Amino acid sequence: MRVFNRVFMILLLAGLFVLGVYVVIYAFDLFDYKLEALPITDFAKGFESFVAGVENGSLSTVTIIILVLLAILGLIWFVAELRPSAPRRVRMGSGTYVTRSVVEDEVSTVAEQVPDVLGSSVSVKAKRSPGAKVDLEARVRRGEDLNTIKSGLQSTVRERLSERGLPVSKLNVKLVEADPRQTKTRVQ
Amino acid sequence: MADGIELARAASIAALATEGVYSMGRGRYVAAATYEGSEKVSGVVVTPEDLEIHIVARYPLPRPIPEIAENIRERVAPEAGGRKTMVVVDDLEVADDESL
Repeated sequence: MRVFNRVFMILLLAGLFVLGVYVVIYAFDLFDYKLEALPITDFAKGFESFVAGVENGSLSTVTIIILVLLAILGLIWFVAELRPSAPRRVRMGSGTYVTRSVVEDEVSTVAEQVPDVLGSSVSVKAKRSPGAKVDLEARVRRGEDLNTIKSGLQSTVRERLSERGLPVSKLNVKLVEADPRQTKTRVQ
Repeated sequence: MADGIELARAASIAALATEGVYSMGRGRYVAAATYEGSEKVSGVVVTPEDLEIHIVARYPLPRPIPEIAENIRERVAPEAGGRKTMVVVDDLEVADDESL
């Protein structure tokens, strides 16, 4: 959201700057440009009729829908802005934090020690409450019993992280069948 | 009770003496250090209310991370002057003698 806001503000300010340059040029009759010559008559008339329509309550259905959508969009944007961003570090308890990479490394190490797992990729999101949301994608051979591997992997990862004192609030395990020739480990 | 750079130095020594600490961390997103004059103590940030200690933990962990953090806090407490002590594990480092 912050990146989006930054891009939006840069574009907005760039637009305002260009508009400001035009206003100065036209307002002071520089380079033979005159304010009266601006082709804004049609726009001004259109805007005037739109404002009159708003005042009279005689807007078309399409215009009302567009205005309502804009209001909803603005509200969503406002709420999204008010929400505090996700913390960068995983909170473990009172005054103890670990970086997400520490949790990622640990989950990855544990997952790859499970015999059926040939490789893994881990994504960790810190939460405001203690614990992290962990998404683990493990690669296994085709034809394996995925349910058994999944439950075994889940319990092993939870157990090992608990031993290390790393709190996990949510652990999502996704198994992907892969060709052992293309995975990190061919044989466990 | 130490203050500023002295506290940072004491905290760094206490942290490094704790079992399970491999080295001081450097901060993940911004440099974690305390400066005074030409001196710099890496891995410790001292503010009037808080004391932030960044460490790199030894792997495999000899004890759970919360225990290591608590041990560091206990060691630093006499010098911290009532500051809230935060321990941040920046990274894990496999010790040289470990065959992992």
